[in-house]
Amino acid sequence: MTDGRIVVDGRPIELHAGDSVAVAILRAGEVPGRGGTLCLAGDCGNCLAEVDGVAYVQTCQAPARPGTAVRRHPAAGKPGLPVVDLGDVIRIPVGMDIAVRRAHAVVAVVGSDADRAGAAVLDASDGVDVMGIYPGPTIVARESGGMLHLAADEIVVATGSAELQPVCDGSNLAGILTPRAAERLEAAGVDLGLVARVGRELVRVEGDERGRVRAVVARAADGSEVATECDTVVVDLGRAPRDVLARMLRDDAVRVAGSAADEQPLPPPPTAGIVCPCMGTTVDDLETAFSKSYTNLELLKRASWAGLGPCQGGGCLPHVRAFLAAKTGVIPDPFTARPAARQITLAEAAADTHIDAFRRTPLHDEHLAAGARMDRFGGWWRPWHYGDVVGEYWAVREGVSIGDVSTLGKLIVSGPDVVEALERIYPCLVADIKVGRSRYALLLNERGHVMDDGMILRDAETRFTLTFTSGGAANAEMWIRDWVETWGLRVHVMDRTMSLAAINVTGPLAKELLGRLGLADPPRFLGHVRVDIAGVPCHVMRLSFTGETAFELHHPLDGSVALWRALMGRGRDLGIRPHGLQALFGLRLEKGHVIVGMDTELDTTPRRLGMDWAVRMVKPAFIGRAALERTAKLDDDRRWLGYSMDGQAPVEGSPIRSIESGEVVGNVTGSWASPLLGKALILGWQRRRPLADRVEIDGGEATVTPTPFYDPEGLRARA
Amino acid sequence: MPALEPVEAVRVVATPAAIDAARWVGDDVDVIRIAPDEALGLGATGIDVPGDPDAIIEPEAGFAVALLDTDALYGVRDHIDWVVPDEPGTLAQGKIAGVPARLVTGDRALLVVHVAYADELERRLGWR
Repeated sequence: MTDGRIVVDGRPIELHAGDSVAVAILRAGEVPGRGGTLCLAGDCGNCLAEVDGVAYVQTCQAPARPGTAVRRHPAAGKPGLPVVDLGDVIRIPVGMDIAVRRAHAVVAVVGSDADRAGAAVLDASDGVDVMGIYPGPTIVARESGGMLHLAADEIVVATGSAELQPVCDGSNLAGILTPRAAERLEAAGVDLGLVARVGRELVRVEGDERGRVRAVVARAADGSEVATECDTVVVDLGRAPRDVLARMLRDDAVRVAGSAADEQPLPPPPTAGIVCPCMGTTVDDLETAFSKSYTNLELLKRASWAGLGPCQGGGCLPHVRAFLAAKTGVIPDPFTARPAARQITLAEAAADTHIDAFRRTPLHDEHLAAGARMDRFGGWWRPWHYGDVVGEYWAVREGVSIGDVSTLGKLIVSGPDVVEALERIYPCLVADIKVGRSRYALLLNERGHVMDDGMILRDAETRFTLTFTSGGAANAEMWIRDWVETWGLRVHVMDRTMSLAAINVTGPLAKELLGRLGLADPPRFLGHVRVDIAGVPCHVMRLSFTGETAFELHHPLDGSVALWRALMGRGRDLGIRPHGLQALFGLRLEKGHVIVGMDTELDTTPRRLGMDWAVRMVKPAFIGRAALERTAKLDDDRRWLGYSMDGQAPVEGSPIRSIESGEVVGNVTGSWASPLLGKALILGWQRRRPLADRVEIDGGEATVTPTPFYDPEGLRARA
Repeated sequence: MPALEPVEAVRVVATPAAIDAARWVGDDVDVIRIAPDEALGLGATGIDVPGDPDAIIEPEAGFAVALLDTDALYGVRDHIDWVVPDEPGTLAQGKIAGVPARLVTGDRALLVVHVAYADELERRLGWR
């Protein structure tokens, strides 16, 4: 009597109620995997196959249901990847249809081999597949209806013991079973044919041309080898802890109980055959790795690949430990296991996980209404352009334009030791900044490498506002808090990055526009004042990234839309238009201004940027000073330079080549077809001495050109 | 569905002792102690911080809040990887649906998030 059929490699196979896929296949006289000893307990990788489109499934743990589609893995190599229509990938976000249940337990018991009173129990017999134990500790499991993420104060792994698998010549043949597997198959009515049982006296297994067992050879008491013809070999070598889950997380909150905690005798050291069926690692492979000094278990694992496969040492670990114990005289601790203990799909792994959230400024909807193409930049959604990059550029150069710079990092620092702290943190002078004035500053790490840049604005004798790049703000905040605490200085720090919005009003007509809205007495260059603009309280900072007159209006979020609209409304007759990042990057490039993170590398120093002027070595101490002092005496072959060339602006990231040799000597970090100067302007690195005056970029010849390319005296910004 | 609404507040960074002794101005002020040296007074219009002349006190419009009843909190907890404390009045901070947020426990829990993240969090919680 059958209860339906599964489909294996396109052919129907009958199943009985309660069958796993592996049992159904074995009942049909076939083999679920590539051969090797079957445990039918989920401990090894010898029955892996593709089930209902998911590869590497342990078929002994997969229930056989009518219509289940099975494709056996190829005899050699990897199973093919599923064919996915690109349209499906775009239309159906991965993981959207997998529910995640989150729960917390004081004690969670995995398995049935422990006292479970009062504990949350996760047991395969209840249909729960535990995938792994992660830091927290958190158990991730598959349960009816979706995934379970169970945080627990204590996790007890009580998964019992596994049966040792043989390692000898012929141990990869089909027809070898552990005792428990044999019992299960016999109970399921599977015909095993002629059965031979053997224990530690096993020498080898012999097979036929189909890769199936033909005979088993054992060592008799007198030392002779005795061959027994059979269809099935049942090998009883004893047990090993089933501890793969416990090996995933070394944590005091995770303990092993029951027979999973029992120290079992290791098998005899292997001398021949495949040790790790998942990865195909042989005893010879172990010998080779050991001979190359991989004598530590974790290193031997990595060098030989034993234990790297789907079962994570469920089959091979005792044998690899026995191998090393015989070689070194010391029994090594078990190696680490990695999730997942059961095959998991990407959708299950991704279920209810999220990519980083990107922030929106209060002007997001204003940008959309103005036709902006928004893009992610520095952790924020920002307007890339409003449909006319060149028009936005000219508005800045010749009229007036506004840009959303709410994303800039903003800190307030205050306290009796604040000047001392800032003098130590920044490489520029701080004490001489007068109230109402500001200074551009680099932020360096201990190695003298540029981490970020921004402005230092003095609000009062013991209070400053600091600004940072959008992408570097969070790191800069942590940096400053950490140093202030390390030094024990009396300084308060308040992060205002997401509390304040900011609008940059820039262009020759910026003063005219702001005068209409309440800025009667604009600060001079690098000055700053607090004044209401269009009724919105603003901290007005006079500085310039665009090269033109510019005022940053920092203001509370809830006034941002009103301020933006007022600026646009009162500037209409001045030809005002907003500018996006693309125009801003071109404007700054004409000025040769650096963008930390875009133009810089992890080891960029002020000298390499040509920004020694931003460092005052006369100061007795600041972060990075010692490194700068030491490296100043060394040759340095890197420089960030300006270039100009005719024709199209090269693609950012393009290689910069030597004209003479064609060798790559650097790369482009920024480029812009300047509407004003009528040529392509480039910023980029050269990393070879002597620095070339002429280089090849994108097939054209570029000339090293001093920066700023535009208004080198800075008269327009100060106007 | 609940909704995250911007809230008027006052934010202060000062010595812990000064914040302990501070007097908040406003009706029905909910004070969230973000850190030993930092507090957020939801609904506050001012604050008097004695003993710390360098205290940073700023009006704050950068946060949005939602009051969660039991059902709404249950829904939010499904998006939290960390253990939500049971004790009422406890401030917990961490990611909710991958978004940095704060949760003040109680009969009606208070979800607090930066306005810059509010739209994204509402989408991820299925509130919009």
